[in-house]
Amino acid sequence: MDHTPTVTPTEARALLDHADRLSHSAHNATRWPYITFIVALGVATSMGTFAMALATGDAFGLAYVSLLAVMFALIIFFVISIQGRSAFARGRRWTTYIASWFVSYAIALSVVIWAHGNVLLAGLASGLVLLVSFVCAAREARS
Amino acid sequence: MTMAASHPRHRLDELLQNPVRFSIVAALDRAGTLSFKEVRDAIEVTDSALSKQVSSLEAAGYLSVGKSFAGKMPRTSLTLTTQGRAAWRSHLATLREIAGDVS
Repeated sequence: MDHTPTVTPTEARALLDHADRLSHSAHNATRWPYITFIVALGVATSMGTFAMALATGDAFGLAYVSLLAVMFALIIFFVISIQGRSAFARGRRWTTYIASWFVSYAIALSVVIWAHGNVLLAGLASGLVLLVSFVCAAREARS
Repeated sequence: MTMAASHPRHRLDELLQNPVRFSIVAALDRAGTLSFKEVRDAIEVTDSALSKQVSSLEAAGYLSVGKSFAGKMPRTSLTLTTQGRAAWRSHLATLREIAGDVS
């Protein structure tokens, strides 16, 4: 005797649609702070490192302190936004995004330190930070 | 008999045929890890109904349940395991097969 419940093609299609909708809505409801954070972090660090690479004296200090303040504010925003959320926290994808941003940021900082005043290198390094963070955010938004 | 045994419905995961369990795994499919509250809100069930089905999925090795504290508030996170993801993929593949099986 066959006790396996019968699933018709129409029911199977409805289940697949339901699963897809639910998967998207659950993901959409939780990922916006992550996308906002990575975009804002990319813009802030890109502009900050560009300013630091070209500025001297008081202007350099102002750019440096401003960048630190913005990054600090962003981290506070992010921690508050994700309080009680678990999505991505231990995800490989999220770790990859932060690691990618960090590598590009380290490159931009090395330009600030070793090629200070070089407009071309500053532009390229800061552009890389912006590009990496936008690619990560776009990838997350489209996943 | 042979025809009945070869029908794709026999390959459907028995555990995932429950609507609440199906919805829990569907909600976790893309996100990977969600808090208990996020899953509850996404699939619109009561805490007790969710808790019961989470226990079944955890016992089968489909979910891992994490416990932590945010201040003094306990937080429960639900993560789809590799085994759970494989079972889900297989279940969806079978459903697709059935959906395409226009007779």
